[in-house]
Amino acid sequence: MSPFWQQYLPLAIILSSLLPGLIIFTLKETQVKLRISLNLFGVGVKLLLVLLMWQAVKAGQQFYFSLPFLPGADLVLQGDALSLLFVVLSSVLWLATTIYAIGYLEHSPLRSRFFGYFSLCVSATVGLALAGNLVTFLLFYELLTLATFPLVVHRGTAQSLAAGRKYLAYTLGGGVILMLGVALLHSLVQSPLFTPGGYVTAVVSGNEGLLKLAFALMIAGLGVKAALLPLHGWLPQAMVAPAPVSALLHAVAVVKAGAFGIIRLVYDVFGVESMHALQLAQPLMLLAAATILYGSWRALSQQDIKRRLAYSTISQVSYITLGVAMLGPLAAVGGLVHLVHQGVMKITLFFCAGNFAETLGIHKVRQLNGVGRRMPVTAMAFTLGALGMIGIPPTAGFISKWYLGLGAAEVEQNWLILVFALSGLLNAAYFLPLVYRMWFLPQSMPWPQEQQLSNRFETHWMLLTPAVFTAVLLLLMGLFASTELSPLSWAELIVEREFRHD
Amino acid sequence: MMVLLLVLPLVGALLMLLWPKIAPLLTLLTATICSLAALQLLLQVSEQGSQQILLAGWPSGLAISLEANSLSCLLILLTTVLQLLVALYAFATYRRDKLGTGFWPLSSLLQLGLTSLWLSRDLFNLYVCLELLGLVAVALVSLSGDKAIKPALNYLLLSLFGSLCYLLGVAMLYGAYGVLDISALALQWQTNILSTAALLLMTLGLMLKAALWPLHGWLPAAHGAAPAPVSALLSALVVKGPLFILCLLWLQLASAPQAVAIAPLFTGCGLAALLLGGVSALRTPFAKNMVAYSTVAQLGYAMLALGLLLRFNQPLFAAALWLFVLAHALAKAACFLAIGEITATLGGKRLNTLKGASQTMPLAMFAFAVAGGSLIGLPPSGGFLAKWALLQGLWLQGDQLLWLLAIVLATLLSAAYVFRVVVLAFDRADPVAPDFAPRILPQWLALLPALAVWAMALYSEPLLRLLKQEGL
Amino acid sequence: MTDLSPQLLLYIGTAAGLFAIGLYGFIVGPQTLRRILALNIIGAGIFMLMVVLAYRGLADGAADPVLQALILTGLVVAVSATAFALALLARLKQARPGQYRPEQEPGP
Repeated sequence: MSPFWQQYLPLAIILSSLLPGLIIFTLKETQVKLRISLNLFGVGVKLLLVLLMWQAVKAGQQFYFSLPFLPGADLVLQGDALSLLFVVLSSVLWLATTIYAIGYLEHSPLRSRFFGYFSLCVSATVGLALAGNLVTFLLFYELLTLATFPLVVHRGTAQSLAAGRKYLAYTLGGGVILMLGVALLHSLVQSPLFTPGGYVTAVVSGNEGLLKLAFALMIAGLGVKAALLPLHGWLPQAMVAPAPVSALLHAVAVVKAGAFGIIRLVYDVFGVESMHALQLAQPLMLLAAATILYGSWRALSQQDIKRRLAYSTISQVSYITLGVAMLGPLAAVGGLVHLVHQGVMKITLFFCAGNFAETLGIHKVRQLNGVGRRMPVTAMAFTLGALGMIGIPPTAGFISKWYLGLGAAEVEQNWLILVFALSGLLNAAYFLPLVYRMWFLPQSMPWPQEQQLSNRFETHWMLLTPAVFTAVLLLLMGLFASTELSPLSWAELIVEREFRHD
Repeated sequence: MMVLLLVLPLVGALLMLLWPKIAPLLTLLTATICSLAALQLLLQVSEQGSQQILLAGWPSGLAISLEANSLSCLLILLTTVLQLLVALYAFATYRRDKLGTGFWPLSSLLQLGLTSLWLSRDLFNLYVCLELLGLVAVALVSLSGDKAIKPALNYLLLSLFGSLCYLLGVAMLYGAYGVLDISALALQWQTNILSTAALLLMTLGLMLKAALWPLHGWLPAAHGAAPAPVSALLSALVVKGPLFILCLLWLQLASAPQAVAIAPLFTGCGLAALLLGGVSALRTPFAKNMVAYSTVAQLGYAMLALGLLLRFNQPLFAAALWLFVLAHALAKAACFLAIGEITATLGGKRLNTLKGASQTMPLAMFAFAVAGGSLIGLPPSGGFLAKWALLQGLWLQGDQLLWLLAIVLATLLSAAYVFRVVVLAFDRADPVAPDFAPRILPQWLALLPALAVWAMALYSEPLLRLLKQEGL
Repeated sequence: MTDLSPQLLLYIGTAAGLFAIGLYGFIVGPQTLRRILALNIIGAGIFMLMVVLAYRGLADGAADPVLQALILTGLVVAVSATAFALALLARLKQARPGQYRPEQEPGP
């Protein structure tokens, strides 16, 4: 590969979804074929480019692209192992979600606008993953807010507008706080590239107070999107968005952006050493543990399927934060791999929930009775996702929880193992009843709103395939965790590179 | 080059009065030529340093002297480009909106007044420019017809009063020192009661004219009542004229103790403008008034930056000040054009008119949202650059938590009023039907400055270099 | 700054008095016409001050030409501004005969 290509590859990855998105905005509602082909073309190109970059990064290459921006902080796009983890996740899931959304929104109005913003949203996510320094990260973080807002309010009903307002209030507030923190850190050490081991070590002595403040501000800013405890309020409300949007928000874009930011902040800005020196890990750990338990607890009492899933997201994303906050290599592997695993599992669950709602009109937990007979494939996928969330082998969820547990033991935080166990029990308590109802209870009432979406399958094939695809994926990730292609080995590679410096 | 920039709009305005039929074309022509000339001047100045000329060969002291430094050139370029853009917009819509024929010569005169204001460094010339600007602005507001007369008259009276305060200050200074040129005056400046009183009087007048809080009362009514292209010009450019003079006075004339003593006034007023202006923008039921109140609030940033600059003498604040001025000018022009286009098409002045506008007029709504992003200060927009410079300056000073908190609050307030509109626009339940088919060209014209303000961020380095060259 | 003779002080005092009267009228006067007149009185005060200053401390009794030029310019500006204000006022009365009262916001 020529150096020219290397330089522009990160930019090309962003543009591969941005440009189709911008073109889609200008299309008429009736140009369905052109729009779909543009979308799929973008996905294809992106996957191809990501594959190229993946191979190169594996071989130890780095990608670097910069534009002059602020003094001391250029706009930098950088492809390293960690960013690639997120890029691969979002690109693959974008493929699944795009197909799903095409099926889901068939015949509904304003699709050009929807798919336009959908592409923008993915571009912002990928940009965020490839961001090479804090200022660039901040930029894409805000763009992500702007790109997702129209998706949340897409239905344009009073309820979705209210959710949209709340979403904006939270995320913009978080964005401002994050900006304050970034500006503070910038005034102390500028904004150099993300480096394994962090770059604040040199200024720790003498600036403890300000660094702690900067960390707190940035965690608060990122915590809004990652739905950390007091800042999670927007997430359950944002459920009014169409199912593909919820899937995207939960699995890939928004909450993951927050979690990914926390990973970057802890490992590549502050670094393990400074985190220890400033004693920042413990509070973060406590916060994450509290969020895990709180989310699971609230999920128990939700009767709306999507709301239950939303609270489950709040809980599960904090596993990532917790894994990062433990500051041990094994825990880090667990946290990183959970970033991918949780994404795939949660998107499966949302696809299935969307299928139930679209095909049979099911929104509530009690309406699920006997769904297993009417829609066996979807119910199977849902079951796999639920088992993964609980952490039962051989699903992907087991792998991440196993590593998180090992990590907790490694850094001698044994109380965390208790947290994991408790949360696992709670997970089982709110997911297993659903599974039980689907398979073992007879249908107790007529389906609320049944539609015949397909003659051959239980529902439209475009709705079914993505769910099956991700369900198989999460099974494979669990079964072949030890192979070279798995997210686990990639996470190990990242951690090896992150921790190698010390 | 400088003379061309002054003579062309003047001659153009006279020709327009003679041949009203070709006035629109003439305006476009002069604005285009002036934009090119301004660009040329900016390039010259950034390469060779600031230029000074004395008009008509009189000796220094008697002649009208003009000085072009990089900041002036930047502002002239901004003026001419916005003038061109607004003229294009007006050209595209004047038949529909029944814009009076007076618009064309008046807008040319406005350009003349602003250009000469940016170039003057002499207290009395600045007064003349101010008066010209004020009179032309009032005349432009009154173009809207009968309902605009009352706000226009109110604007005129306050503007005249402001000018007289300024003039009294000038007279006192001339009586004491016998010179009017700012740099010459600065050389013999003494800190005494007389100079302080003169400065305060001039500040009062200028704050009134620039609608700086708490003297902003006339602005929302006047800017709200004016036709859309006029509001765009007024909000984007005219209020910046007095602000520019205010900065000249305090940064070049006032002695250090005077500057430090006045700083709390500016920061305090800036803060109040940010918060109270934001709240008013959030509460007003009229679309254009909301944008106008947002101008009041955004001017607060400039004032805050000026106050902090006077207090700490940190060059970052100077950069923040002028970046705010530039970013706000572009963003506000986009806002007014977009809102004007939407309200004209959907028929109605209340914010409720904008319901569902994201479907009926997506481009204009997009323009508003993009410009709003800069008003909020989202990266990577011009507003973000300015806010970033302000934040950097504050963090470097250390221990300024109060200001930081205020900036956060102000940012959230601006986000609230911008997104109040955006959320309304996404409301799909019974959207307001347009009175006639929405037109594409005016919407694109509204989008252009909005895109420009985001592009500003990518040119931050040359911009910052230009602004740092400036001794202000 | 040169010393001020009592005579000069008197003039300056008169100018200040004019300014104060005008200011009072401008702030208090509810009617637009009164406020326009008040502005003119303020202007007169300032121009008087400038005339006085033109003669300050110059031994040969000649006036300062720069100030006189300024006064001329200022007068021209003031006259045109007043004319403009009066024209606007006339239009306002024409537009709504009989029901002239101030309003806060433009009507819907």
